[in-house]
Amino acid sequence: MARLNDDAQWIILMGFLVSFSFFFLALVINQSTVVGQTTAESVIEFPKNDIRDVRQVIGQSVNDPNLPVIRNDITVLSMNRKGSVLKYTNITNGSATYIQIHYNNGVTEYNENWSYL
Amino acid sequence: MTNSDGQLYTIEGFAAALIMLMTAYLVVNATSVYTAGDTHISDMQLEALGSDALNMMGTPTNTTMDVIGTSPLRTIIENDDAITFKTMFLNLTNNRTGLPPDYISRIGSTMDFIQFNASYTCRDLSNNVISTTPISYSRNLTGGEHTVRATKWVIVNEGVCGNGIQHRAVLVEVLMWRD
Repeated sequence: MARLNDDAQWIILMGFLVSFSFFFLALVINQSTVVGQTTAESVIEFPKNDIRDVRQVIGQSVNDPNLPVIRNDITVLSMNRKGSVLKYTNITNGSATYIQIHYNNGVTEYNENWSYL
Repeated sequence: MTNSDGQLYTIEGFAAALIMLMTAYLVVNATSVYTAGDTHISDMQLEALGSDALNMMGTPTNTTMDVIGTSPLRTIIENDDAITFKTMFLNLTNNRTGLPPDYISRIGSTMDFIQFNASYTCRDLSNNVISTTPISYSRNLTGGEHTVRATKWVIVNEGVCGNGIQHRAVLVEVLMWRD
């Protein structure tokens, strides 16, 4: 049997160590770029501005004398231009007013009850 | 007779080659993902910026405006004031600290990195058909732009969509892109 030369094994070991460290560095770079993507996607997907805007316009509209027309405007436009179901009602019971908002864009559903005197 | 010297070196060579191939694959793969992730981040920022700008334009600027329930955006729609919309929107989205890079050649200009195309949509009372009316734009859309949309509900006192003058809700939509 031929003699196996076992000199300088630490050089081979160092070679392995360096190779593995490169491998893990590449893994870190690979993963780091995906982090922002998932964050940005979830921010875009959640309709924060839509809901905020809808609450604002509903708050403005409930005291408007032309409320039935405005309510229809908001429901129809919301369905046609934003693809979201939006219904709201306001009920006056004695001196208290209750507003119920229902919002659903297929991904996020939002319901809210307001009441004020 | 087969010479069996240097078998360890051969194995090391194979192992090193495998590791280097894997590393190269991961690095190349990482750069291709980078574009997609980057696009989403700038989209998110642009959309947030547009929503904020529209929100500011939809807010009464003084107490007199507040009493009669109006805002710059509402006034713009009621008066078909394209120039005010353009000035205000470009100021809100493009103004930055410091001088623009082109300030010598175009004194008074803003940086104009963000372009927009704005319109509002209303409903016809007689048949529930919706239609869109342009408000203003800073540059024509050619179809190649990567746009994001920001929207804002506004209650106006105007004969929108051919109906009589009354309080109506319209949806202001702005397409924005970087140039």
